Order: sequence, then C-alpha cells, then structure tokens
Amino acid sequence: MSKQYIPWVNAENAHISDIYSLAVTDKQLLSVSGGSAIKVHSLTDTGFPLVQCIDDAHSNGCHHIVTDAAGSRAVSAGFDGSLKTWSCHDGHWVADEKVTADLKHASAWAIALSCDGQYLAGVTEQGRIKVWDLAADGNLIRDHDTKGSFGVTIDLSSDGRMIATGHQNGRIYVFSTETGRMPYSLQGLVEPVRAVAFSPGSKLLAAAGDSKVISLYNCSSGNRIAYLAGHTGWITSLSWSSTGEYLLSGSFDGKIKVWSMETKTCVATIPEIEKVVWSAKWLPKIGRAEGFVLGGANCSIDFYREASA
Amino acid sequence: MTEPSIIPLEMDDGRDPAVREYIDNTLAALLDGLTSHPPEPLSITLKRRVRQTPHIINPISRALEAIPRSETHKTYCWPGKTAHEAWKFAAILQILAILDQAIRMGQLISKRDIYYIDPEFFRAQNIVDRIVDDLAYTIGVNRTALNVEAAAKGLVMGDFRLIRGPDILIDMQGAIEDTLIPRVENGDEIDIARARWVLVIEKEAVFHRLARISFHTRALAGEGILVTGKGYPDFMTRRFLRAISDSVSSQSRTLPRFYALTDGDPHGMAIMSTYKYGSAAHLHQNAQLSIPRLQWLGLRVSDVIAVPEVLGDKALLTLTIRDRRKIVTMLQNSPVWASDGPEPEWRAELQRMLVLNLKAEIEILYECHGGLEGWINRKMFRQE
Repeated sequence: MSKQYIPWVNAENAHISDIYSLAVTDKQLLSVSGGSAIKVHSLTDTGFPLVQCIDDAHSNGCHHIVTDAAGSRAVSAGFDGSLKTWSCHDGHWVADEKVTADLKHASAWAIALSCDGQYLAGVTEQGRIKVWDLAADGNLIRDHDTKGSFGVTIDLSSDGRMIATGHQNGRIYVFSTETGRMPYSLQGLVEPVRAVAFSPGSKLLAAAGDSKVISLYNCSSGNRIAYLAGHTGWITSLSWSSTGEYLLSGSFDGKIKVWSMETKTCVATIPEIEKVVWSAKWLPKIGRAEGFVLGGANCSIDFYREASA
Repeated sequence: MTEPSIIPLEMDDGRDPAVREYIDNTLAALLDGLTSHPPEPLSITLKRRVRQTPHIINPISRALEAIPRSETHKTYCWPGKTAHEAWKFAAILQILAILDQAIRMGQLISKRDIYYIDPEFFRAQNIVDRIVDDLAYTIGVNRTALNVEAAAKGLVMGDFRLIRGPDILIDMQGAIEDTLIPRVENGDEIDIARARWVLVIEKEAVFHRLARISFHTRALAGEGILVTGKGYPDFMTRRFLRAISDSVSSQSRTLPRFYALTDGDPHGMAIMSTYKYGSAAHLHQNAQLSIPRLQWLGLRVSDVIAVPEVLGDKALLTLTIRDRRKIVTMLQNSPVWASDGPEPEWRAELQRMLVLNLKAEIEILYECHGGLEGWINRKMFRQE
C-alpha cells in the first residue's frame, strides 16, 4: 500500500552551502552545512521558524551534528577536524567549553551520541572506532582498529549496547559497547557504505551506500534478512521512524524513498528534489501528521508530511 | 613541438634602473668596506618573504597578496660567526656577480644555469633558487628583471601574434603544431585573432590529446587557444595568459572566455587557484599575473557521479589521507576558500570531496559520450 507525502514547509536558502547533517530533537531541528553556522529551527511552532543561529561555530564548515535523546546536548564535527559540544538551556544552545576542551585532542570523521548524552562514539579517517566518556573528562574508553578503511558513517543503538560503522571499502563493523569486542563483521558490500542506522528497538541494522541497495541485518545473528532495491543513485542517508515501521532513505540524485518494514517494499518516492540530499530525518510526531525533513545541496531545509487521507 | 621563432630577444637591460642601482650599490659598498683602513666588516642584507605568511585577496587586483609587514630581514656577514654564514655570504656575492654579468651582456640565464656554474659550491639547486628569489624580492622586482627565467615549461596551441612595438615577434597564425610559451615583456601585445576562448589545461597529456585533434579550431564555441602550464604553472605561462587578458581588454574586442580544466582533486583546485589568484609562494608577483576572469570548466566530482551509467562509478578514486590533509589546509589557510571568500563553489567542491572521500581525474572523460571534446563542448555552452 503506497503512502503520499507532500511538501509542508520549505526553509529556502537556510544555509549558504550544502547542508550535510540534520539532528532532530523533540522540539528542535539542528542543521549544519559547508558554511560556518549551526542553525536551530523550532519544531513546536507553526512554520518551523528559525529560532537560533550560532555563527562561526565551525569556520571551515561542519559535516556532522548529533544530539542526545532529551535534546540537551549536541556535538558537532567540523571539516578542520574539530569536535565541539553544545548544551541547551530552555531551548537556547550555548557552547559547552568544558567538554569541548576535553575533546580537544579527540578526532573523528563521523560521530554518534548515546541517548543519555554521556558517550560519544566516532569513526576516524583511518577507520578507527573510538568512544569517549563525556562525563569523565572526555576520557577515551574504547579504541578499536579496523582494516584501516575510511570511516564514512557510524550509529549507536538506542539501548547503547552496539556501535555500527560503515566504511569506504564496503565493510560494516558492529561492536558491543559492553565487552569492547566485535561480535561480527557483517557480510558487507563491495562499494562504500554511506549510512548505517539501528532500528529503534535495536533489533535491526540498516546499511546502504553506493550499491544503491539497502541491506537489513538481524543484529543478534548478523544475518542479512532483506534487500531493499529501488534507488537509482548512491544512498547517502537512512532514518528509522520512531515506531520502527518505516525507513526513510535519501540519495545522491535527490530521490527520497519511504520503505515499509512490514512488507519490505517502497511505499513512497519523493522525486522533485534534484540535487543531492545529504541528510534525511523523520520528525517527531507533531499533532497527527507524520513527516520528515531533508537537507542537501540545494541549501534549503525541506519539510514533508503525510497527506491526510 | 616547435621552438618559437623569437631568438634573438630584446633585453630588459636598463629598463628597471632599480636592478642596476642595487647591484652597483651593493658591490660598491663591499669594495669600500674592503679597501677602507681599518677594514670594515662586510655584510649583505636580504629581505625575504616569511614562509606561511598570512595573505588576503586584494579587492582591487583580485589577486592573492601578502598582508603588509609579513617579511623579515636577514643579514649575512663576512667572515661571519659560522662557516655556514661565510659560505652563504659568498654564495650571495657569487650570484650577484653572475647576475651582474648577465645583465651587462644582455644574456638570459636560468636558475639552473647559475647552479651549474659551480654545483659543488652552491650545494643544491633550491639554495640558488632561494637566493635569486630573495634578491628579486629585496630589490622589489620580478625575477625576469634580473634576466633570470625558468626554462620555458608551458605549451600553447592556437592562432596568436606576439607584438612588440612595431615588430611582430611571433606569428602563430595557421600553425599546425604546439609551441613553447614565449617570453612576454612589459608592453608586449598579444593579438589572438578570432579566438573566442582560452582553455587553460592542468595536464600536458590532456593538452596534447586536444591539440592532436585541433580542438582549438573545431570546438563548437568557435576558435580558441589551448594552454597548459604542466601542473602548477610557471611564471612565463601565467605572464603569457595575463598578457592575452590585458591585450584583449585594451583592444576592446569581444572578450574571450577563460576556462580552467583541471583534475577534480585538491591539486587541480590549487592549480586553478594559482592561475586565477596567484601562488602563496610569490605573493609580490600575483597582482601582475592573476587572471580574475578565469572560469571553472571542470572537473567536478559531481560531474562524474551525475552520469555513472556512462562513466561507471569505478572511474572515481578514493582520496588519500594526504589529499584530505591538503584539502583541510587549503580550507584553513587560503582566503580563496574562506567562507566569506570569492569562490563559494570551489569551497563547496572541496568539502564535498571530503564528504564523499572521492576525487576524479580528467582522463575519465575520455570514456564519456562524445569523448573529452564532446564533454568540453557541452560544458562551454552551458557556461555561456
């Protein structure tokens, strides 16, 4: 059964350059780009207005931003290799100088933050997987070496027990945060993996990239349980809906797809964005409408919602 | 490849009195010191550019230039405190004497020539290079004013005439082979006849491929001129291109378009920036050499990804850690790539390379529909 999603709100030219990363909390949307600012849009006000702009957050641009579940802490990663931490007070974000200083010598390309905001996981350009404890002066508590292939993407499961990384050489690694061991390296892909995402219940892992196919793995067995084929461009981004019923995927050719986990089929395609979408994220349920948000090379933030029946 | 028919050359001799004056004064001061009683200590002071100097884009010249005061002075004494200082003093004096003779005789000399006069004494080519550069900088002139030029490196193909006063020094109309880029002097005019575009190419192999099929006469955009500086361009190539740009402006003819075709990697981007804004190593020359009108034809990584069915995803290469470091350094240090800089598209391209961890070489286009020339034809039309 197909679903229909329609344009909702469009924050045109929200950034001066490609929007590389979006982070969604219950109340806000944080976005970063090749420009130097972090922008904050309200998700609780009509029209999703811009409520804060942190200028000069990363003077060389920023490629990742992540938040904890409560929306009280954010970490951003700049193109110059710097990691910065931010904390939210009554909806207003300020630099967390202490934690940023603790992470001064930390380095990572892709990052993920645990739900409670205590642990920051990162994967480096050399493929090392690291975890820092932000409650303990940013101590490095895990440091795993992989095969040395560029670490493109990382995710932390919502129960905090697993880290998954996707690499340039097509490999996918899953680590247990408790034992510090790698239970398995998934039977990966040949081409670069650009997105990995754990389902909300931490039972499934979705992974995709230049192969244009989404692979679904069972996290406890490591077996691949399904392929989702249909994209014609490289897949750059994956996001699970809060219930785990739907998976959202964004692509280099600008096409967006929504996949039903029940039927393992594509139930909606958004064709009209012609430039690369770097980040696609489900929104928290606002009223009754289910929606998602996109950021990419058109420099705009595009909100979509499900058409009411 | 044919040698340009420009021998013998008119010399710069005497045109820049600063050079004569500096050499005469320096040598005279040293002689005075030697012959005075009691002998005075001998010294030579060179101004030199500070490495890693902060630089800006001059809003008027649109070239990369040094922020004022980013230079140091270094004095070398004879006999000096160390053997090294004594040798350095002697090396500077020796080079000054060689330059003095070259200028008096009206000879052109290259840094390589100077080094080979006494390689054992000079120890390394880069020592000679540095002293010559520092002398030029101290006097405040270009290297060519010292009659020193690098061996010609760049190549050009297409109709043009090099005019000096009443004389036509070079006439390449109807030429069927490429030629070394000629030496251009102040006041020279370059007539590019019917050329409607100038394509500046990073790679020599790509240049030859286009020259072989006479792309300069067969392009859909009309006649044009092909130029390559073989990687990072030398002074003569940049000066030649700038002279074309200046000449057509003064002739008030239809301005040809200047396009850059480089690899889609950090070096390709840096080479394009060197043509357009100048090099960070020779900031004092950039205002006379930059080509602000240069447009970016390609290659963008996204150009290649956009047509994967034709080119194949395999055509792209993974960035090395060194490539990534180079990109980050470019983003951090050069005003060309700054967030409020003049080239937001260039900056975005470097960032996308980092995100995709990919680069693309021009040779990829050989395989695309219509080949390299088909791709250039389409791109030129899209940019008009």
